[in-house]
Amino acid sequence: MRDQNYQELVKKVTMYLDNELSESAERELLREIKANPAYLKVLSQEKSFREFIKSIHRRKPSPALIQSIKEKIRIAPV
Amino acid sequence: MMVMTQENKTERYDRIFEQEFMPQIDALYTFAYHLTYNEDDANDLVQETYLKAFRFIDKYDEGTNAKAWLFKILKNAFINQYRKKAKQPNRVDYEEIVGYHDEEDTNFSSYMDLREEMFQGMMGDEVTNAINALPVDFRVVILLCDIEGFTYEEISKIIDIPIGTVRSRLHRARNLLKTKLQEYAESLGFKDKRS
Repeated sequence: MRDQNYQELVKKVTMYLDNELSESAERELLREIKANPAYLKVLSQEKSFREFIKSIHRRKPSPALIQSIKEKIRIAPV
Repeated sequence: MMVMTQENKTERYDRIFEQEFMPQIDALYTFAYHLTYNEDDANDLVQETYLKAFRFIDKYDEGTNAKAWLFKILKNAFINQYRKKAKQPNRVDYEEIVGYHDEEDTNFSSYMDLREEMFQGMMGDEVTNAINALPVDFRVVILLCDIEGFTYEEISKIIDIPIGTVRSRLHRARNLLKTKLQEYAESLGFKDKRS
């Protein structure tokens, strides 16, 4: 795959994974992917990369912070 | 016409705060922590966000996108408070990043096999370090899009940049991460497939 085409494909796949493609663009991309096994590999790798990055830990606020916010709100004028 | 008394206004604001704002606290705290990397600063940032949200609650339309509204307040508080204190990583020179990536991108497809090996869970904490080391403007779009699931349009409104800039910043952020991960992989003995 030529680099320019590859970059274009990655951009489209990225937008597809971000749910940002229009319906017609999505249909066109899926048609291209179906017709070309190399495209499918790009999609699966980008998807893996995304899941890999996601797997950035969520953190929980302490009960003390929640309590403090609620107390301050109670005395704050609107 | 219904006249809103002070009492039912207070009840309404309390309901909005409890039902729409407080459920977002985990996501806000995660975002704040990944901006500051300091628990005390993250606590201060989240607390300031909620106090500001309550102060301006009459500007919020009940039942709309509370999460995006709160994230925007938090982002502004972060810029106002923490950039001044210079506690966060320095902003990047985008031209430097763009130039660097233009050069890297020409051979980018040859990294694919290497990255696939990396996805098998061999990398450990270095990956977290790579994410933490992203310049803050890039880390923000990754957090908002990949972790919180905001749309490009929502991100555009939260951080006040055009949608096209959201798209290109995400693209560069992800490429920067891939490059950083590749460096870590090589330091652990993985071979660059180009050589």
